[in-house]
Amino acid sequence: MKRFILKRLLVSIPVLIGITLIIFFLLNVVPGDPVALMMKEHISVDVVARVRAQMHLDDPAIVRYFRFLGNALRGDLGESYKLNRPVTSLILHAFPNTFVLAIWAALFAWIVGIPAGILSAVKKYSLPDNLFMGFSLLGVSMPVFWSALLFQWCFAVKLGWLPVAGFSGWQYVIMPAIVLGWSSAGTIARLTRSSLLEVMRNDYIRTARAKGLHELPVIFKHALKNALLPVVTVMAIQVAGLLAGAVITESVFGIPGVGRIAVNAIQARDMPLLQGAVLFETVLVILGNLVADILYAFLDPRIKVS
Amino acid sequence: MGPWDTSDRIHGRKGRGSVLLSMGLVLLGACATVASAERTLTIAYNEEPQTSDMQMTTSCYMIPLNVYDRLIECVTTGPGKSALVPGLATKWEVSKDGKVYTFHIRKGVKFHNGEELTAKDVVYTFDRMLDPKTKALNTDALDFIVGAGDRMSGKATSTTGLKALDNNTVQITLENPFVPFLAIIAAPQCSILNEKFTKPLGSKYGLTAENTCGTGPFILKDWTLNDHHTMVANAKYWRGRPQLDKFVVKIVVDAETMRMLFESGEIDLFDCDFAMSQIPYFTSHPKWSKQVISGPRVGLYYYSINQKIKPFDDVRVRKAWQMAVNRKLILEKMYYNQGQLENGVMPKGLLHNNPNQAKIAYDPVKAKQLLAQAGYPNGVDMEIALVASTGSQWQKMSEIVQSMVAKAGFRVTLKQMDEAAFYATRKEGKLPMYCNKWSADFNDPDNFFYTFFGEKGTVARSYNNLNPDNFAALDKGRAETNFAKRGKLYADLEKKIVIDQAAWLPLFSVKHLYVVQPKVQKFVIPWNGWSDYPVYETRVK
Repeated sequence: MKRFILKRLLVSIPVLIGITLIIFFLLNVVPGDPVALMMKEHISVDVVARVRAQMHLDDPAIVRYFRFLGNALRGDLGESYKLNRPVTSLILHAFPNTFVLAIWAALFAWIVGIPAGILSAVKKYSLPDNLFMGFSLLGVSMPVFWSALLFQWCFAVKLGWLPVAGFSGWQYVIMPAIVLGWSSAGTIARLTRSSLLEVMRNDYIRTARAKGLHELPVIFKHALKNALLPVVTVMAIQVAGLLAGAVITESVFGIPGVGRIAVNAIQARDMPLLQGAVLFETVLVILGNLVADILYAFLDPRIKVS
Repeated sequence: MGPWDTSDRIHGRKGRGSVLLSMGLVLLGACATVASAERTLTIAYNEEPQTSDMQMTTSCYMIPLNVYDRLIECVTTGPGKSALVPGLATKWEVSKDGKVYTFHIRKGVKFHNGEELTAKDVVYTFDRMLDPKTKALNTDALDFIVGAGDRMSGKATSTTGLKALDNNTVQITLENPFVPFLAIIAAPQCSILNEKFTKPLGSKYGLTAENTCGTGPFILKDWTLNDHHTMVANAKYWRGRPQLDKFVVKIVVDAETMRMLFESGEIDLFDCDFAMSQIPYFTSHPKWSKQVISGPRVGLYYYSINQKIKPFDDVRVRKAWQMAVNRKLILEKMYYNQGQLENGVMPKGLLHNNPNQAKIAYDPVKAKQLLAQAGYPNGVDMEIALVASTGSQWQKMSEIVQSMVAKAGFRVTLKQMDEAAFYATRKEGKLPMYCNKWSADFNDPDNFFYTFFGEKGTVARSYNNLNPDNFAALDKGRAETNFAKRGKLYADLEKKIVIDQAAWLPLFSVKHLYVVQPKVQKFVIPWNGWSDYPVYETRVK
């Protein structure tokens, strides 16, 4: 197992370098000048020229890329052009907010999605099944910015139960976590349902029933264990995605997280910050996939890590 | 305990709380009284201030207008009206040749760290702006001081034109007479810093609340990036303690969220500039319509004209464009008639504004004739550039204009660009026509003329109105000390640029609307129409 993990981590290094290379050169190809953007309406050509030189923006792209890479290997991701702060500190300050949101969203998705999926599978084509699948379809298909606005209007403006936006207490987490988790819950519920239905058709389930077992032990002891295998994989990847930042949710609910940082960096052509954010998010996704693989191997002994 | 420490105020309230306790109230009730008694104004802003160091940014002035002071302050004296009043300088003298300014620094003013303000701090602040190590973005505000060029290029280690004559006197010598100088140093960019506090921090100054220090009525107490920043009252402010205990600025990028924050009472003031589309909602709402306040804007909306891009190299086409746009209709339909037409470069409220300036007429028939005379009898193709992320007002306006000018023969293509590409192309002088607005940074015609029609500005803003006579007149206007002569000079120049050269299309100035919660009192709408304002006089019930 250790060798497997080490091998996967080593393989991820060229992936990381490749991603930084793509982002760097893509941003160099598209037109944009971070200094002109910083000054916007107060542009002065003299100041732009001077500050560009001071920030080494006039150096060839390849020189700037290797300077970035060299510094990154020493753990220095550079300083944000726009915010003048170290990239590492900006990301590490934003990440706890994204982490809290992601974890609660994931918990919501699991707590709601898995039981809903089980119930739907057990009571196939019943009213609860239609109801749950309807809600999960809504969650999957409704754009997050829309459901976010609906929630804000209903629970904050009309009912006054929760704050509209911000991130300075537990009550600020509830709405964004539900909005963000709803989509994941929908996916999990549908996946749990279909996976469970498939498993329930297997011979060993028929055998368990033939032994005279009650339906509940059949489902929870025999069927669910196998049915949850693909669900767990999806869950791990979903968590990695959530941790990488939920851009729209963070923007609508005013959450100072990693997703917002990345979007601001793209808009501001803030190369160091964007590189840092992308590197960070790539690491999270790679780790998420790794955890999914390990969990899969752990849960299903038939699968060997080798 | 220095002024940095606001615990005296908090202790004072606790004291009142204990009196309540002694009167027999329960502890919880007393605490609730204490909490609710805090006079807090909470607002929303749509952009994160990248720093509180005003030398390093050209936007987001909410912190400097409340945390810092300047030698001279530009205060709002009425709707759209302003005056320069003594700030950290009690008085000043200007030499006869208009080159030497002597400022007498107010005694007894304390920075938030307890340090007393001296002339050295003023010299340090301005020299720091020109120091290349600072990488300041606002050197334009001071680059006319003697020795500024050498300082900025690194040839000198100090600015020769900046001198502290004694502890309370600063002398600033300019290369040439420069009339707008006093107005410029009243702008937020010229906020005064404390040398002892700022110097050791280097580039870290202004990046956190702890690394920020001014003399202003509020102290920056906490700052969470992309979330909020809080300013608390400076009990030892030299003009007296502000009326508010706390001023909280929440960063909210989404306009709908901002409106809901206001409606749920989480913010006390809604700035309609952040969401123009919400104006009809608020002005027609039974509750909120009574809470709408507005003020004129010393600024204007405009369409640029790039003379390097055909067909606008021909003055007849430019004139045709001016006549093809029905500005009154746009003002009525899009901005609910909340403003007035502008016909020049100097909007109403600006120093030397000329109320008798020639009007631009809406005349699509004549516009079509002019196009034909210019060699385009079958009309002409053109582009309007738009920033996709700015919001919808420019998009909507340009869509209206697109259909409006078709009558005169202009076939408009709207070119969506992302913000970075827009500004990079504009800087090169290659951007097609675009619409935007400009509000006065300081109350002087130079702020408008030099910005748009100065030798470098006209290229960097993609006008390319390269007229040497204009440049000479602008330099003359900067140096002309006779008020009446200066006014005439700018009025003549305005006519040349707008009427004779048809170098741009001024549209209108739109009132700045705010919606305030009933508890907010004495909110002063800034004279220039900014979304940044001092809240020193504002109260909450």
